[in-house]
Amino acid sequence: MDIRFEQAEARFEGRTVLHPLTLTLTERRIGIIGLNGSGKTTFARMINGLVTPAAGRVTLNGFDTASDGEQVRSAAGFIFQNPQNQIVLPILKEDIALGLTSRKLSREEKQAEVNAVLARFGIEHLADRRVHELSGGELQLAALASVLVTRPEILIMDEPTNQLDLRNRALVEKTVHSLEENVLVISHDLDLIAGFDRVLLFHDGRLLADGEPPVVIDRYRTLCAA
Amino acid sequence: MKTLYVQGNTWLHRLSPGLKLGGLAVFSLLLFATRSPVVLAAAVFLAGAIHASMRFGVVRTWQQLRVILLSISILTVFTLLLNGPADALAVFLRLVALAVLAATITATTSTAEFIDTITAGARPLERIGLVKAADLGLAIGLVVRFVPEVLARYEAIRDAHRARGLKQRPLTLAVPLIIQTLRHADEIAAAIDARGIRGQNNRKLGEGS
Ligand SMILES: Nc1ncnc2c1ncn2[C@@H]1O[C@H](COP(=O)(O)OP(=O)(O)OP(=O)(O)O)[C@@H](O)[C@H]1O
Ligand SMILES: [Mg+2]
Repeated sequence: MDIRFEQAEARFEGRTVLHPLTLTLTERRIGIIGLNGSGKTTFARMINGLVTPAAGRVTLNGFDTASDGEQVRSAAGFIFQNPQNQIVLPILKEDIALGLTSRKLSREEKQAEVNAVLARFGIEHLADRRVHELSGGELQLAALASVLVTRPEILIMDEPTNQLDLRNRALVEKTVHSLEENVLVISHDLDLIAGFDRVLLFHDGRLLADGEPPVVIDRYRTLCAA
Repeated sequence: MKTLYVQGNTWLHRLSPGLKLGGLAVFSLLLFATRSPVVLAAAVFLAGAIHASMRFGVVRTWQQLRVILLSISILTVFTLLLNGPADALAVFLRLVALAVLAATITATTSTAEFIDTITAGARPLERIGLVKAADLGLAIGLVVRFVPEVLARYEAIRDAHRARGLKQRPLTLAVPLIIQTLRHADEIAAAIDARGIRGQNNRKLGEGS
């Protein structure tokens, strides 16, 4: 996996939200931290092309997010800050199957893929449940299943343990650590990213620190104290 | 959140969704082809009987139909004033029959079935270049899916007004509802893109941002 930002900049209504940024990401486990409104979500959305750069270029495995949206999005799975918003259909197994629409599979093949991904996260019992009735932790696992069924190479998660109780937080943490896919996680949960390969700290739309978790997390703590 | 769909295993749940939607279309065409009160009353009876055989319970039926029945009543009153009792009766019976049958079909057809059926039904239109069948299916499925959610949001906003002792003015209710609904729609649209739900060649058409 190879993510490149080349002087990439994000603007909303004329306001610069992410200042020109150049960097390359190839690590298997990447954490993103920063205060509210610092530009973390915007940065993540640029990787899969949901936000395209106002200037500069962003590529994923060589595909330009602005012109090759299809390839980029099939390589990058995205779990939204509020997973409720990414579940489109009311019944979980139907929603997961919906992600397979663009791959021309038979009904049985789809069924098999859905069952396999449910089993992978141990949530077979949720297959026929209504999505809006699921608990926060169940919903995170459901969102994971609905995204990973399409077999992306990298998984981007926006605050996956936010709003979870301690038990569900531990469950999602364990799941994140056990994923074979490359993972990029935005999180205020510093324990979750402590063991990662690389951590980026954003502040006011700029990359303030970038490196090994202990160093960057320390910098974040000083920033919060200031 | 309520859903329009009611899980179950009645004969209507098991009937093919294509047949159900096709049947509903034919039923509505026939309703508009006649003005005979006897025939229309029979249609109401038929729709009511089908609905009753599902055993959803009176409370659910009432909740699902009250808004549409209110609209039908208003329409009936206007027709009565403008066109007289014969037309008003026809309008009333026709729309009630249609509303009851449509509600019953929606309650027994899951969103995924809706999407599949409409997509399949729109294939001929796609061949003559009118629409993208998959997009049409997805769009109609999403409407069915999110109508109850918009209603739930409306109720939440109304409750917030009550809790804060605010007077419920149409404007103070409508503005947050519209803003919240649009923002939610943005998120859903982003999710549909992020999850690659719309297929390869479909995306080019709708690419906005
Ligand atoms: N669609 C948008 N339109 C206008 N402004 C936006 C939009 N999305 C984000 N912003 C603005 O961009 C800035 C960065 O937002 P972003 O969501 O990237 O922050 P964040 O670091 O993810 O914050 P949080 O921790 O609260 O999720 C904020 O000032 C926000 O108001
Ligand atoms: Mg964010």
